Amino acid sequence: MRKKLIGMAGGLALALASSTSVLAQELTIFWAEWDPANYLQELVNEYEAETGVQVTVETTPWSDFQTKTFTELNAKGSAYDMVVGDSQWLGAASEAGHYVDLTEFFNKHNLGEVMAPATVKYYAEYPSSSGKYWAIPAEGDAVGWSYRKDWFEDPAEMEAFKAKYGYDLAVPATWAQMRDIAEFFHRPDQGRYGIAIYTDNSYDGLVMGVENAIFSYGGELGNYETYEVDGIINSEQNIAALEMYRELYGFTPPGWAKTFFVENNQAITENLAAMSMNYFAFFPALTNEASNPNAKVTGFFANPAGPDGHQFAALGGQGISVISYSENQEESMKFLEWFIKDDVQKRWAELGGYTASAAVLESEEFQNATPYNKAFYETMFKVKDFWATPEYAELLIQMNQRIYPYITGGEGTAKDALDSLATDWNATFKKYNRVQ
Amino acid sequence: MATAVLTTLDPQSRAASRGMSDLSIRNLFIIPTIVFLIVFNIFPLLYSLGYSFTDFRASSSAPANFVGLQNYRDLLADPFIWNNFTITAKYVIVSVVGQVIVGFGVALLLNRDIPFKGLLTTLLLLPMMLSMAVVGLFWKLLYDPSFGIINYALGLGTFEWLSNPNMALYAVALTDIWMWSPFVMLLSLAGLSAVPKHLYEAAAIDRAGSFYTFFRITLPLVAPILMIAIIFRTMEAFKTFDLAYILTSQPTTEVISIRLYKMAFQEWQTGMSCALAYIVLIMVLAITNIYVKYLNKVKER
Amino acid sequence: MAAVRTSGERTTNRLAIVLVLIITMIFLAPIYWIASTAFKPRNLATTIPPTVIFTPEISPFVKLFTKRSQLRAAPTPEEYEAAPWWERLVFDGGEKVVRSGRGEVQLSGYPSRFMNSLIVAITSTVLAVGMGTFTAYGFSRFKVKGEQDLLFFILSTRMLPPVVVAIPMFLMYRAVGLNDTHLGLIILYTAFNLSFAVWLMKGFIDEIPKEYEEAALVDGYTRMQAFFKIVIPEAATGIAATAVFCFITAWNEYAFALIMTNRRAQTAPPFIPSQVGSGLPDWTVIASGTLLFLLPVAIFTFLLRNHLLRGMSFGAIRK
Repeated sequence: MRKKLIGMAGGLALALASSTSVLAQELTIFWAEWDPANYLQELVNEYEAETGVQVTVETTPWSDFQTKTFTELNAKGSAYDMVVGDSQWLGAASEAGHYVDLTEFFNKHNLGEVMAPATVKYYAEYPSSSGKYWAIPAEGDAVGWSYRKDWFEDPAEMEAFKAKYGYDLAVPATWAQMRDIAEFFHRPDQGRYGIAIYTDNSYDGLVMGVENAIFSYGGELGNYETYEVDGIINSEQNIAALEMYRELYGFTPPGWAKTFFVENNQAITENLAAMSMNYFAFFPALTNEASNPNAKVTGFFANPAGPDGHQFAALGGQGISVISYSENQEESMKFLEWFIKDDVQKRWAELGGYTASAAVLESEEFQNATPYNKAFYETMFKVKDFWATPEYAELLIQMNQRIYPYITGGEGTAKDALDSLATDWNATFKKYNRVQ
Repeated sequence: MATAVLTTLDPQSRAASRGMSDLSIRNLFIIPTIVFLIVFNIFPLLYSLGYSFTDFRASSSAPANFVGLQNYRDLLADPFIWNNFTITAKYVIVSVVGQVIVGFGVALLLNRDIPFKGLLTTLLLLPMMLSMAVVGLFWKLLYDPSFGIINYALGLGTFEWLSNPNMALYAVALTDIWMWSPFVMLLSLAGLSAVPKHLYEAAAIDRAGSFYTFFRITLPLVAPILMIAIIFRTMEAFKTFDLAYILTSQPTTEVISIRLYKMAFQEWQTGMSCALAYIVLIMVLAITNIYVKYLNKVKER
Repeated sequence: MAAVRTSGERTTNRLAIVLVLIITMIFLAPIYWIASTAFKPRNLATTIPPTVIFTPEISPFVKLFTKRSQLRAAPTPEEYEAAPWWERLVFDGGEKVVRSGRGEVQLSGYPSRFMNSLIVAITSTVLAVGMGTFTAYGFSRFKVKGEQDLLFFILSTRMLPPVVVAIPMFLMYRAVGLNDTHLGLIILYTAFNLSFAVWLMKGFIDEIPKEYEEAALVDGYTRMQAFFKIVIPEAATGIAATAVFCFITAWNEYAFALIMTNRRAQTAPPFIPSQVGSGLPDWTVIASGTLLFLLPVAIFTFLLRNHLLRGMSFGAIRK
């Protein structure tokens, strides 16, 4: 039995080895399973019609995307030719040699100008301001907000709101207004709640949510070039921002302690919340009447400003990179040359992809195509992101560990949580010799 | 190793003159399995052991440095890790005890003439036929305070099963009990039907109480197979990952496998995670060893 | 089974049956809910109170099998008219079917993964139960030096958390070309189930009286013949129970399937959760995928039900 198995294994290995070089006319792009991956499949089907090269977008559940990609890359696997990877991965993937250096390609096609500046900075360049590029911005994304227009525009509600807060009920311009509106609509006895925010701490959900507050309050996570964090992550602004997030948690629907994109969209479809935070990439499902019974009365707005008028949002989205272990790198580069063409980017946007092409983003046509494209366009020019260093995952887990108990459980104070986080991060950067 | 152990067979055993000798039959039956398991376990085990003494990260091209027992020392000194172990212990006890009570209880009820018994048993086994990931997805929906069926059916209003830090672990264990009681039930049923009826009849003639009958006749005879069920459920519960990971993200439900997963696949601290895996392995080995000793004692009776 | 004698016993018996029925209903409630969701229109999937009466739909299954994307604009009446019935169901759900560069309808990953699951689960179950039965018999009937240690070693192969075994296994598989193959998963699941199969089968075979085989040997059977003609039939219950458990484990395994396989050999379990990716999960599709995936195991178990229930009574009674 054993001999047979080993014999079979050997035979199979041989068969595999001899078959891999034959299929050069086939490319595989790896991504997570979601609407944009389907749109990308539609787009690359057009590439196949044009060139005969068959491109497959292979997908895996979001929850395992990071694990699956890095297991494959760390073992130097050649199953995928390209990956549409998260912006935080750039450091880890480029330092380990997983991604092909695209600096030359980038400069040749002048992509620094063609793509929106924020997308170049966060999806493509590592280290910060080094002029080295590892990815082509592919799917722009950021956190925005959806809200119930019918609740906001109900005359009785408007009157009551004005009487209570002294200003008109409208899309919030600041986080303080957003807090008021959330408090106003928070009516547990009616099964209606104020606001839906991210709280899932198993990957980057909660941190992305908190970042929206921090960045708009004028705070930063740290200095991405010098790795300095003391006095930055635990600054006055960040403490105020974290306290605000904790306050908003008080106006969320019951059981709102492990929520990410699915739950936040459900807050709108199930009539739970007046406002809901989410990535723009998940908004198409909200405008589709088949999936959202409230599609007609759902509106969208960009992340509001902080107390000092700063207005930023947390970045999502991904760039497309060529994998160093792929046997089809040349074909992949040809595909990328096609992908960055203006008309292809335009088509990408038409199909539902969030292009990063500055020209397409600025066009009237794009901005009017959906109810949320305008908010998306505004947001994409004021986004900030998490650390992209190779040890980003440790930083993320430490942040989750420190702020989750404060936000969902009210344990300790915002200052304690952020002070401890600064200590954790300092220790981590010391461990990897980023600082002395 | 295996072959050395096996080459000497007790000459007392029945050496058949026809066909293969007992010795070769025994070797043919046992050695392939042992070799197969060694081949497929020894490499991962040695790999993990080796790297547990280094600061290796599978995600980086930097060479691994030997750090001695540093990883083990760091882990055992980390209060977060001890917390993970406490949570795991609580989870194992609640869910395994729950499964044994429900599973064995249902088996006792089923162990009689019941119409459509085969169909009923198959239906009762359905929960364990689902995949963990799917069970996690659906139970998260069932537990939802606003549109979940459980609160609606039980009239609990907006009771927070999963976001209440003190309730969450029990909610996860409850799902696990729902899913795996059928496993204990089926094995218990197989054990129960092995109890010879004449023993019950004798007990009835002696006018023995039902308590006496249960503890002196039923339980001892079912014990060996029940112990096997408990051993496997304990091992699985100790390693549990999917359910808790999908259902909640409370610090109070972070069982050791979740910590391990984050360390190994999110942070890519390969060396450190190998050390933690070894600590877990030693604990499971120790616990299982106690069980197996007990099982052997039960069998001797 | 002994005849029920007294009226007291009869009452206990009735009570037990009622209790069993109630417990069965509680256990099945979530599964009934999944099964009914698989046929619901999407807007009735998560209503409170739950919708019990509705016109069943086939659209969740159509969606399950096709690659779809959100409709950006409603289809023109001509497009809608020209579409086959199943494509109209997808249009009605606010989505469209994705077509390849050559214009062919693209299937979702589900059908091919389902086939992969069948191949991997059936083969590995046969291997694990077969090897497990042989080995259990070997340990049960012959003297083996260090028997307890060897058995404990076999058990211990199931103790390492899979998370940790995954990385070295992945490297090993890559080196020999076993990743993303059916054979790779088959070997993995066989190894994983083997410890369980050996332990459980040993529990069952220990209960079969040795005297049976010895009588057969005296009658002129060889040891092999005695094993196949006497022991195997007597151990049918154990084999059935072991097979059901091994099949269930292999059928639903998630972590290794996710990591070790890609497009060619990946099984279905990682596919179903990926359906939540679009921000608003279509619970009807998730439920239909779950229901279809439950069928083979349920049928397999139902076919073996009589073996499962016969218990181990043979040995003890005749002893």
